[in-house]
Amino acid sequence: MTGDDLEALLGQRAPGQWELYRKSAETREVDASGAFQRWAWRREEGWAARWWEAGAPRFAAASGPDALALAVPEAARIAVAAERPPDWPSKTAALAGEPTVEPPPALFEDLSRAVAAASRGEAALAGLRLRRGRAEERIVNAAGLDVTQEQRLLDGVALCVARRPGRAREVRVPFRWNAEPEIETLARRLSDAATLPLSDRPAPFSSGQWLLDPAVGASLLGALAPLWLDDKPPRWLVREKMAGPVVGVADDASCDAAFDGEGVATRRMLLVEDGALVGRLHDLSSAKRAGGLSTGHGVRPSFRMPPLLGPRRLFFETKSPSAPAVLLSAITKGLFASALTAPPRVDLAADRYEIEFTGVSIVAGRAQGPVAGARARGRVSELLRRIAGLSTDLQFFPSPFLVGSPTVYIERVSFE
Amino acid sequence: MNWDDDSIHRWLEPLAGREGDLAEVFGETLTETCLEWRDGELREARVRREQGTSARWRRGGSEQFASVAGSDDAAVREAVRALRTSAGRDPLPIRSSRSAPAGEVEIGFPSADRAARRLSAIFARHAPRHAFTLRLLETERRVVSAGRESSSATRRLLSLEGRFTAASRAGDEERPFAFHSPMSDAALDELKTALAAAATPRDRAVPVPQGEADAILAGGSAAVLFHEILAHPLEADAGVSPLRCLPDARVAVSDLEVVDDARRLDLFGGYERDDEGTAPRPVKLVASGLVGSRLTDRAHAPASGSTGHGRRSGPAEPPLPRSSNVVVSAGSTDQEEMLRRLGNGIWIEEFLGGSVEIASGTFRLRFPRARRVRRGRFADELGAGVLAGELLPALEAIEPALGREVHACRSLGWCARAGQVVPVGGAAPDLLIRRLGVRPQL
Repeated sequence: MTGDDLEALLGQRAPGQWELYRKSAETREVDASGAFQRWAWRREEGWAARWWEAGAPRFAAASGPDALALAVPEAARIAVAAERPPDWPSKTAALAGEPTVEPPPALFEDLSRAVAAASRGEAALAGLRLRRGRAEERIVNAAGLDVTQEQRLLDGVALCVARRPGRAREVRVPFRWNAEPEIETLARRLSDAATLPLSDRPAPFSSGQWLLDPAVGASLLGALAPLWLDDKPPRWLVREKMAGPVVGVADDASCDAAFDGEGVATRRMLLVEDGALVGRLHDLSSAKRAGGLSTGHGVRPSFRMPPLLGPRRLFFETKSPSAPAVLLSAITKGLFASALTAPPRVDLAADRYEIEFTGVSIVAGRAQGPVAGARARGRVSELLRRIAGLSTDLQFFPSPFLVGSPTVYIERVSFE
Repeated sequence: MNWDDDSIHRWLEPLAGREGDLAEVFGETLTETCLEWRDGELREARVRREQGTSARWRRGGSEQFASVAGSDDAAVREAVRALRTSAGRDPLPIRSSRSAPAGEVEIGFPSADRAARRLSAIFARHAPRHAFTLRLLETERRVVSAGRESSSATRRLLSLEGRFTAASRAGDEERPFAFHSPMSDAALDELKTALAAAATPRDRAVPVPQGEADAILAGGSAAVLFHEILAHPLEADAGVSPLRCLPDARVAVSDLEVVDDARRLDLFGGYERDDEGTAPRPVKLVASGLVGSRLTDRAHAPASGSTGHGRRSGPAEPPLPRSSNVVVSAGSTDQEEMLRRLGNGIWIEEFLGGSVEIASGTFRLRFPRARRVRRGRFADELGAGVLAGELLPALEAIEPALGREVHACRSLGWCARAGQVVPVGGAAPDLLIRRLGVRPQL
């Protein structure tokens, strides 16, 4: 069974209404701790078919074409509800790169030293998994689409443990680097996340200003992503005044891949401009429902799942950025959130959020001391409108899609 | 998987020349049918068929690992070739790929459409407004290791997760629902009973009060607590935890017996062979209140050998020592007596998830709802919240009052650690625990 055979099979079952996806990936990984090292090499192959048969959508995935040919009739056997097929894109493009994948660099020792220095010896790197990989995707469909693209990555997970007499804290930090390793930045994140919660000090204020580290800002933005995906925005949302006037939000994955997981060309989408909601994201299915065009946000986290509507590279931006030091000096009484201590919880329908974090208390622009654990909670609508400053230090984090944030300054937040 | 085990043994033996060396090939054939319902309609059906093979060589503190797609002879050769090359050995000669004919890999779920029809009827009757995702999984795993007999194991699992709208006495209410079980016709009957119970009308919930509370963990939910605070810290590769420094120390009442038992095939985390081919044996995590043994794989095993807890999420990942089914022995206290002993506190029947931080021993368990108990009687319905505490104080705070009946915990299903998700299960009697932190959650 070949790709052409599968195209013929799908063409027979669903004339004009099919899509075939193929992914070939190779990754090399080093997993190191103090006493152990693992080198891993992986070659992944994935095939996925999506088609409309008897008016209903079907999906099958497999690790090879023979297995996919078996999965297709099995998926077709189960009766599912009818749904209109999307308007399939049609384009051809071939983008093939260098097929070799070098092993990732061995950075455990360097990062260990950097963590020890950043934490003044309180924290130790317990493990580092670093992965370098390359994936080639090909998408063809019944409308004549035939695109091939390549993606490369260098990412990993670091584990850090900090100890003081009678107390310990363990943190796991995922990261992704665009090109060169950023060891000092990662070491500072690990050190702060592991050592600040050991201080035993609760939040000294019940309200005040809130300064978010880029990692915390990105987690918050990631949790808000459904605002730009759902067919119906929440009732509390006022389009013209969704956020503070300095706030902009965009999604632009054009530096990562030329096409999305459905073969639609990637483009920059402006979602919030000067605090007003100006756009939303679409994949083929949601675009069909809305009577519009896909914005190129059909995402395939894996070949095992059909493409889903999702952000690809979502980030805060502003027309009037401030330096981080300027935002810090603007705080009269507040908290700097350095790292999260639990995943952010956001209930968009109920207009509520709750974020647990560790950080530093600040009075008159000066750090007063670490805060072991604090909780900010309130209305999402108020939180967004009270964002009064965004910095210049935009950084991206995997979460699981890429989310970018600079330092974020928010006024009048309630703490516990 | 029609492997030539003799050839694989021959390829692996040179890699396992020293005491403690480990060389193996692992293969998996997986079929998954995933069905999504929304409000009485089956909206999506997905079928996935995957085969994968990996080879692993471990010597001392270093390991080489190679994984490839496919589980035929060519895939095995490719994985072993990559391993031998990285080990500085002569690679195997390349032979033309001998792909299995399509019919050979047929395992599949002939019953998926039947299960879909049956479940549609169950949902229509007990929870007509819903969003559910059902996964039917069938895996066949094969391990060939240097110096050991080859082994194969097959598992069939059913996993349902989602939300439904149920009636409460003050209006409609959205409730989460999860059910994880080995696949059988009886499992669907049990699912029906569980869903009917979850959909019963209740009073409107009031927010959980924040502070310290005594709690009864009922309906098998104590298995989730012990999965977090005992099983994870006793996984052999876990970092230094508060339990690690206390071998054989008394940490709980002598009535408490907690075992990790992978042989319980009626529970979601059961298996006949682990992913290194070892037959599992039950491991006492707490025996008569004393800290028990660690859960080991081959790489972390003492001289007595692996306990059969080497598990992996799939062929692309190396095995790790992982928990399977946490089973707590029954006591002799009935419900009425439990409530009387509790006095004032909360009654929790289900957890949605949990986490533990190994280094500090702090844990959190999320519950979707609870019931307040006042003077030994059920009072208000409480909303979602978080139960939190520290490992050793929590173990010490368990009362010597364990329920008479052990209940399977069907909401406990998938456990993620180090990026690997494996099925886990548990069963426990009702359990009374004092002074845990509790707070409401969104």
